[in-house]
Amino acid sequence: MSKTIIINGKECVFDGNKTVLQIARENGFYIPSLCYHEKLGPASKCRVCVVEVDGIRNLQTSCSTAATDGMKITTDSPRVLEAQRMVVNLLLANGNHNCMICEKNGDCELQDAAYHLGIELPAFVVEEHEDKDDSGAFIIRDGNKCIQCGRCIEACNRLVVNEVLDFGFRGGHTQVVCDGNKPMGDSSCVQCGECVQVCPVGALIEKKAVGKARSWEIQKVRTTCPYCGVGCQQELHLKGDQIVRVKGVEGAKPNDGHLCVKGRYGYDFIYSKERLTTPLIKKNGKFEEATWDEALDLVADKFKQIIKESGPDAIAGVSCARSTNEDSFYMQKLFRAAIGTNNIDHCART
Amino acid sequence: MTNSFGEFENAKLFFLIGTNMTEAHPVASYYVKRAKLKGAKIIVADPRYQALAKKADIYAQIKVGSDVAFINGLMNVLITENLYDKKFVEENTEGFEEMKATVMKYPPEKAAEISGVSADLIREIARTMAAIKPGMLCYTLGITEHTCGKNNVMSTSNLQMLLGNMGMESAGVNPLRGQNNVQGACDMGALPNVYPGYQAVTDPKNKEKFEKAWGVNNLSDKVGLMIPDMMHELTTKKVRAFYIFGENLARTDPNITHVEHELESAEFLVCNDIFHTETTRFADVIFPAAAWCEDEGTFSSSERRLNRVRKIKDAPGQAMPNWWIFKQLAKRLGHDWTSNSAQEIWDNEHSMVAPAFAGIKYNRLEGDGLQWPCPNEEHPGTKFLHKDGKFTRGKGLFKGIEWTPPAEVADAEYPLVLSTGRRLVHYHTRTQTGRCGLDRVLDDKTGLNQMMSEERVDMSAADAQKLGVKHGEYVKVSSRRGAVKVRAKVTDEIPAGMVWMSFHFSEGNANWLCNNVFDPETKTAEYKACAVRIDKI
Amino acid sequence: MDASIKKIVARYPDEKSAIMPVMQHLQRENKNFLSEDAMDQAASVIGCSKSKVYGVATYYTMFNTQPVGKFHLQVDTCVPGFLHGADAVVEHLEKKLGIKAGETTKDGMFTLSRVQDLGSCATGPVIQVNDRYFENMTLAKTDALIEALKSGKEPENDPSMTVISKCGVLLNDRTQKDCRTIAFYKKNGGYQSLKKALTMKPADIIEEVKEAGVRGRGGAGFPAGMKWSFLPKNDSRPVYLICNADEGEPGTFKDRQIMEFNPHLVIEGIAISAHAINSKKAFIYIRGEFNWIADILDAAIEEAKKDGQLDNVDIVVHRGGGSYVCGDETAQIESLEGKRGNPRVKPPFPANSGLYGCPTVVNNVETLSSIPYIIQNGAAGYKKFGNPNNFGPKIFGVSGHVNKPGIFEYPMGTPLKEILEAAGGVKGKLKGVIVGGLSVAILTAQEAETLILDFDSCVKAGTALGSGGIMVVNDTVSIPELALRTIEFYHHESCGQCVPCREGSLVIEHKLHDLVHGKGKIEDIDLILHLTANIKGLTLCPTGEAFAVPIQAMVTKFRPEFEALVKR
Repeated sequence: MSKTIIINGKECVFDGNKTVLQIARENGFYIPSLCYHEKLGPASKCRVCVVEVDGIRNLQTSCSTAATDGMKITTDSPRVLEAQRMVVNLLLANGNHNCMICEKNGDCELQDAAYHLGIELPAFVVEEHEDKDDSGAFIIRDGNKCIQCGRCIEACNRLVVNEVLDFGFRGGHTQVVCDGNKPMGDSSCVQCGECVQVCPVGALIEKKAVGKARSWEIQKVRTTCPYCGVGCQQELHLKGDQIVRVKGVEGAKPNDGHLCVKGRYGYDFIYSKERLTTPLIKKNGKFEEATWDEALDLVADKFKQIIKESGPDAIAGVSCARSTNEDSFYMQKLFRAAIGTNNIDHCART
Repeated sequence: MTNSFGEFENAKLFFLIGTNMTEAHPVASYYVKRAKLKGAKIIVADPRYQALAKKADIYAQIKVGSDVAFINGLMNVLITENLYDKKFVEENTEGFEEMKATVMKYPPEKAAEISGVSADLIREIARTMAAIKPGMLCYTLGITEHTCGKNNVMSTSNLQMLLGNMGMESAGVNPLRGQNNVQGACDMGALPNVYPGYQAVTDPKNKEKFEKAWGVNNLSDKVGLMIPDMMHELTTKKVRAFYIFGENLARTDPNITHVEHELESAEFLVCNDIFHTETTRFADVIFPAAAWCEDEGTFSSSERRLNRVRKIKDAPGQAMPNWWIFKQLAKRLGHDWTSNSAQEIWDNEHSMVAPAFAGIKYNRLEGDGLQWPCPNEEHPGTKFLHKDGKFTRGKGLFKGIEWTPPAEVADAEYPLVLSTGRRLVHYHTRTQTGRCGLDRVLDDKTGLNQMMSEERVDMSAADAQKLGVKHGEYVKVSSRRGAVKVRAKVTDEIPAGMVWMSFHFSEGNANWLCNNVFDPETKTAEYKACAVRIDKI
Repeated sequence: MDASIKKIVARYPDEKSAIMPVMQHLQRENKNFLSEDAMDQAASVIGCSKSKVYGVATYYTMFNTQPVGKFHLQVDTCVPGFLHGADAVVEHLEKKLGIKAGETTKDGMFTLSRVQDLGSCATGPVIQVNDRYFENMTLAKTDALIEALKSGKEPENDPSMTVISKCGVLLNDRTQKDCRTIAFYKKNGGYQSLKKALTMKPADIIEEVKEAGVRGRGGAGFPAGMKWSFLPKNDSRPVYLICNADEGEPGTFKDRQIMEFNPHLVIEGIAISAHAINSKKAFIYIRGEFNWIADILDAAIEEAKKDGQLDNVDIVVHRGGGSYVCGDETAQIESLEGKRGNPRVKPPFPANSGLYGCPTVVNNVETLSSIPYIIQNGAAGYKKFGNPNNFGPKIFGVSGHVNKPGIFEYPMGTPLKEILEAAGGVKGKLKGVIVGGLSVAILTAQEAETLILDFDSCVKAGTALGSGGIMVVNDTVSIPELALRTIEFYHHESCGQCVPCREGSLVIEHKLHDLVHGKGKIEDIDLILHLTANIKGLTLCPTGEAFAVPIQAMVTKFRPEFEALVKR
């Protein structure tokens, strides 16, 4: 049976068990939230997603408040906004949230919250700085931008279960640590990048993306990972024809945003200056550049000659388990229909 | 895979044999570990005490190449203790008695002797599998890359049928495919015995159908050669021209010295590739090809899911899509093919001739793709196969399978067993992953190369001590076929008597050592077992 | 796994709970230093990640992940220590040892640290040396202590203070040498209540406790009987009872008086309560600094077991690692599960899903220690003490500026004045009183004049009875300085999970620091009030409120003192 809650006077119908935040989002109400992530569930830690619930004295975190039929919610009262503003101000007060040079500028949940709440400059500043950790092959950690939301830790331990990250220390000194507080590059981290994927701010970023593009210049294209047989769905972030970074596609089958180190960071080979760019024909033991016509004619003539002299079964081919279906389809069609042999195989069993 | 990755997280039991998902299929391993957090039991059978073995509820450290005996032992317990799924066996299978007769020759004690897993543990595993239903069986190349690979595969389905773990959610036999589109290359009929969609070339009806579809009248009804045979026939000159599309056989195939001799023997060798490789050295003509991201198309994943790949840029220079190259060659051989894009090839050609794919069209592949079989355009695709125990051939067929040892076993001269495979950070011969650093050239010191820049031989502390070898020190690993110099990695993953290497690096590639012997039917090489020795340098 | 570690792990239903005890063991074995190797060893023994172990080790203050001197001198400079002159001791030690607080002498003999609240409020200044306390320290006694340590002699502790028990329910005669023994306890009627309780139906015990109206003595004052009755009925999961002995609210040192001198009373209380709620396994979660008291409890449990008193329940003493927040019941449960002491989001409440996801009751030491009396004398007997809705005896601890600080077991509803008189009267001119531990609003001298000490009267007076830890402040004390000490404590103790507490306490600390050091602005005072007003009720656990309330009260009631610090 459908249930209804009222958000800022609007009736919002929902089914099943949902939180106030989920229903608010479905109905177009923006409630800033920083520690909540759809894949990780409520955390109730940042306290920025608070709302007023009729009949309850204190403000409630909407990410962890289960909606019940008839509940009345206010998301935009002065009291709510003041609390939210204070929380965001507190986060901005500590660390170094310099949007101007941040890779996450324009794609940052803290920035969105500040913008929404009309915070131009942090109301107060407390300066404490941590060193950046760029020891990892692909991931840069910037403690000055970290808001200790814990998403990366939950993701590392509960989603990809690599169990590298956790919180170390306490209170204002709390920070994310790898293993026993090692630099990421010296730790057991396998650079799967799930932490980067869920980070709401610029505390975890892709090394290879630094300085490559602003978020608003990015075009996103979905594709399939070219490595193992799981078939992970990737979201390529492009500026022009350059891949700036790769994200997993959230909610997609089979990987729901997860990738591995190769899928997330193993994309550059297509840009290598070592790529083959022209047909090559070996002459006197050396490869020489040729035109397509020269090379194709040479191969076709040789095939024709061999077919004539030795029959089609004197030609054999190996297709590619890495390339597309359509490529393999045409290769086997070439061998069967145009050459006339079933001598077509690929590394099917390895 | 009979089943899907989406079923992993809610599975109750995993039986993982010959699969090191953590490194070879990392994302799949996440879901196994998450299932464990939710209470699933994990049983791992693997010679290596790898990451998932360490997380397993039960770990069986089986000896390399003992899978059939081990699984027969499990089935022996299931049958003798009356723990198997009698209803499923009666209703959905045949050949039980024949299988039973063989299995009865493998009581747990006998299986223990061969596999090195204690009889008690074999009993415990069998009882656990019988107690927790359904269970998902997953394997990878640890099962297939043996001279008895096909028998290993059949053993896994014997076991799952006996347990009734077929035709339902979170069950089944699930081979995780090692490459992004090895499933697709099979689906497309890049196999010597079947047309696209697994239609036998020997069936006259199929021949007629494809001749009509392709407008030809000379299709061969003779099963073609498989790779090892093709390569062999290069040396006999029975095969004169060899066309290699995107494979680096000179480093991926066993016994590199021998493979290079075969490639060298080719009268005429053509390659399509995106880089020079150790293989293209032998080519007469190389066609520069478009890479991933440079053409539209589809991949088929292990779970039979058709996914789109998309073009974001043009191929560099004059490089062209592979299908275009094949089309130009066909034209010069007198065949004018009309398709002008990957979509046209799929929509107008493949899906029209392969019934299992008939319902899959590009316009249906925008989101999460579709899993075949998908016989018509209203069909939602198939999450798991053999629903309600209905097998493709009717009834599931049990086969009695005898254990056979690897072709080469350790002896006094070569006292260690070498097993090989993939590591997390690199892929195959590193043509791609070797170029993922900031400089985007092979062997630069950043990116994936920063995480691993050279091959090493994984070995046990016991053997290292015996040989006086320290972690990180260079050693010589040699087999009857070759020798390599690599650093020793002393690790608790490896039991005494075994060593392990990958084939990612040109030097120090395990394939210099591997044995070029093959399963008699599938022609899969025995990458997982050969005998080597290690010497201090 | 070596045998001693195995033994530790075996005490717990879930091995993860053994993380802290295993690390405590490894630290003790290694010169009070928890090395990386030791943490890795703990990770492999327990079967969890290295980062998790590291996270736990660095959460609790008592794990030394950096090497420390042979003698780790830890001076409590929190509010009660501050009132008792602990800063002079630190300065003296700095001079004497030639190091600053936080440093180690070159010869590796001494490490000097300022620490937050050791729970020895009436006997301050206190120095904790490794795991021993030295109380009532003067500069001369400090010198003697250092000399004794240097020469390898065993120094003596002087824990003397005023002890008055008007009710005679919770405190025993500690002047008797054998006061801790079961023989002494039984001679005075001990374990008769348990015997009686075991013949009663659990439901009847719960009814009796409900009827007695005993309100939780940890500070919240929630009716204990009602808490018990929230446990789900007909549930197959095991029920756990946790005795909260993590007394860490500055100004509070009452539970240790029961545990140290009258341990069997706590144990009997636990055994009766466990029977009432059908729990077979109980834990005493005691703050790690009270290690010697934990030893006393361990010994008493052994004695009671041998005497056949504990057939219905197994009691495990679990030592904390140095964390105020672990006094919160859900944080305590997390800590007992071997995690960082982060409070949980409620619901679910512990009664439904507590320790290991099972129904759990957490009761304070003093609360549980009241149970034997109720069983023996009935609800009516208990209600002879106190006022309606505020029954029973209560232990008040008085520290700060009184002539005879100490502990006082008086009936609920006793006027503050009477307690202060019992404590020898105020030293100097009274400026303010904090009556319920540091987390409650300070009262001005005038407000304190007529205060009645029970839950409801304190609320009416705009403060709270809390734990009954009374800190007396005379006019020599600067309230801004007191506020700074207060926020330093809470900032140090904040678990760091939620933003208003973690960052709010940081900003307030900075602003108060600026004010106290003459660098403040008038806006800082308003900012502090803005923050405290918004933090109240916004945090994940009560810690936010625990500093917002006292800071707000200090600033509001003594605002001119803060304004006077701003340079014009």
